[in-house]
Amino acid sequence: MTTATRTVASADLDSPPPPAAPTPPKRAGRDPLRLVLRALVLLVVAVVMLVPLYLLLVNAFKDQQDILADPFGLSGGLTLDHLGAALQNPRFSIVKGYAITVLFVVLVNVFSVLLAGPAAYVIARSTKRLFRVLMVFFLAGTFIPSQVLVIPVVYVLKTLGLMGTIPGYVLFETTLTLPFSIFLYAGFIRTVPRDLDQAAALDGCGRIRTFWRIIFPLMRPAVATMVILNTFSVWNDFVNPQTILGPSSGLYTVTTGIYAAVGQYQTDYTVVFPTLLLAIAPLLVFFVIMQRHIISGLTAGSTKG
Amino acid sequence: MRPPGRRRDGGVATAVMVLPATVLYTVMLIVPVGLAIYLSLTDWDGYSAAPAFVGGSNYGEVLSDPEFRRAAFVTLLAAVVGTVGMNVLGLGFGMLVSRTTRVSSILRTILFYPHVLSALVVGFLWSAILGTNGAVNSFLTSHGAKLLPFLSDPDWATATLIAVLVWAQFGVSTVLYVAGLQTVPQNLLEAARIDGATKWQTFRHVTLPAIAPVVTVNLVLSLITLLKTYDLVVSLTSGGPAGQTQTLAYLILWNSFHDGRLGFGSAQSVVLMIVTAGLALAVTRLRRRADQGAHA
Repeated sequence: MTTATRTVASADLDSPPPPAAPTPPKRAGRDPLRLVLRALVLLVVAVVMLVPLYLLLVNAFKDQQDILADPFGLSGGLTLDHLGAALQNPRFSIVKGYAITVLFVVLVNVFSVLLAGPAAYVIARSTKRLFRVLMVFFLAGTFIPSQVLVIPVVYVLKTLGLMGTIPGYVLFETTLTLPFSIFLYAGFIRTVPRDLDQAAALDGCGRIRTFWRIIFPLMRPAVATMVILNTFSVWNDFVNPQTILGPSSGLYTVTTGIYAAVGQYQTDYTVVFPTLLLAIAPLLVFFVIMQRHIISGLTAGSTKG
Repeated sequence: MRPPGRRRDGGVATAVMVLPATVLYTVMLIVPVGLAIYLSLTDWDGYSAAPAFVGGSNYGEVLSDPEFRRAAFVTLLAAVVGTVGMNVLGLGFGMLVSRTTRVSSILRTILFYPHVLSALVVGFLWSAILGTNGAVNSFLTSHGAKLLPFLSDPDWATATLIAVLVWAQFGVSTVLYVAGLQTVPQNLLEAARIDGATKWQTFRHVTLPAIAPVVTVNLVLSLITLLKTYDLVVSLTSGGPAGQTQTLAYLILWNSFHDGRLGFGSAQSVVLMIVTAGLALAVTRLRRRADQGAHA
């Protein structure tokens, strides 16, 4: 599994395959029927993938009777009323939802790097058995399905007095990022020459300073991958904020807010479509702009599961 | 000259670097796994300070509970059918879009984008499309056709759930396969072609062995992801109609928080954890031979 992960991780999707031997053109063009068939299949799948997005976009600007009468078309005309209403939904302020979610995303990413970075450094640089065991201990965490752990986590948080609080939620989300971050960072740090550490030590740097001043600035690609992964998993998480923060805290992330705003009103499409559009728009724009980095980052990291 | 206290300072620095992560991870992830096992032997309701020990009775009830059996069936069906779907489509489209052209790159993005949306949003969106008054049925009825019970008939709803799971996830398999396919040695493909191998023979004897580790990762990942399906059930079917599309994760959280039976829910969690780990290990075992072939 480990070998495979590395293979996948190291192949950047958009860089040309290493010993680039392009398929001879005559071969590709040999069979026009095949080419047409292939284009047709790809066209059909692209439509199947994009139709839901199209429906979301157009129906967010239509009245209920127009959505019901002509869901795919624009015959009834467009209106901004429902988008405006969704923005001012009394059950869930989407703007506040963005702010809270962004805050959580930032906090989890910062804590994750602060905790996983130094730990990965020690693990990567030590030859002691203790730290090899520690790596395996952390790796085991990548196989624990967090969703079904939420019951005992509630118990732990209650004991610590952190249930229903932002610190409790942020600490748990941070914990979920640790196993894979440490695995990825340690693998990366092993590729950094030890001479750098020794030179820093000769200059009188302690271990902590050596890590943050010398090694950490070199870890940018690995940190970027983890930030992308963590951003999506925190932004999209539903079970954990719903359970740990709970409706009574009044703290809605985008996801738990959608549930509060749409869950009971699934047949009122003038609520459903505009709210969903507002919820996914920032993420989708971010994805389209950054798609190359995001896809290769998520590919590298998807062993996290 | 190293001052005498230097070694201990190094030890302190090491501890400062390793302990915060280790302690947090232990408290928030390892202790809960142990607690899940402990709570599964109690009748904890989420409030009482001292849950009563009830031995293995929760497990006995889990295994004889018809709801649990049905949820286990739905979950396993979704996991197996979904894994096959994700990987067949993923590998198929992976081969179609693995070139480094602009069009392929755009297609990869189109196949992949549902993965960046939350499963909750995907479910609400598809329920607005496939519901009784949804876009597809509105279109059908206004053109004189009959309604299709995508979400209102139990069997249809199960099939819809699995189809939407595959729709949302097979793009991930696709990009993983693309990454794998780009590592297949070009000279082997060239050699096979010169030797007059057919496309199928080349795929079967050159490509497939070369990407064996990627196949394994994909199978295990799809299986693990599908076994813990929850968010999509909440938003697409709410477990319905009549509880027919409840998955194990859905049932666990429902029993735990709606019914306040956290001990019982914990027993179900432990069963799900064991099944997940068992299946993941079994697939890895079964694939070991193919993986080794790839390294030979």
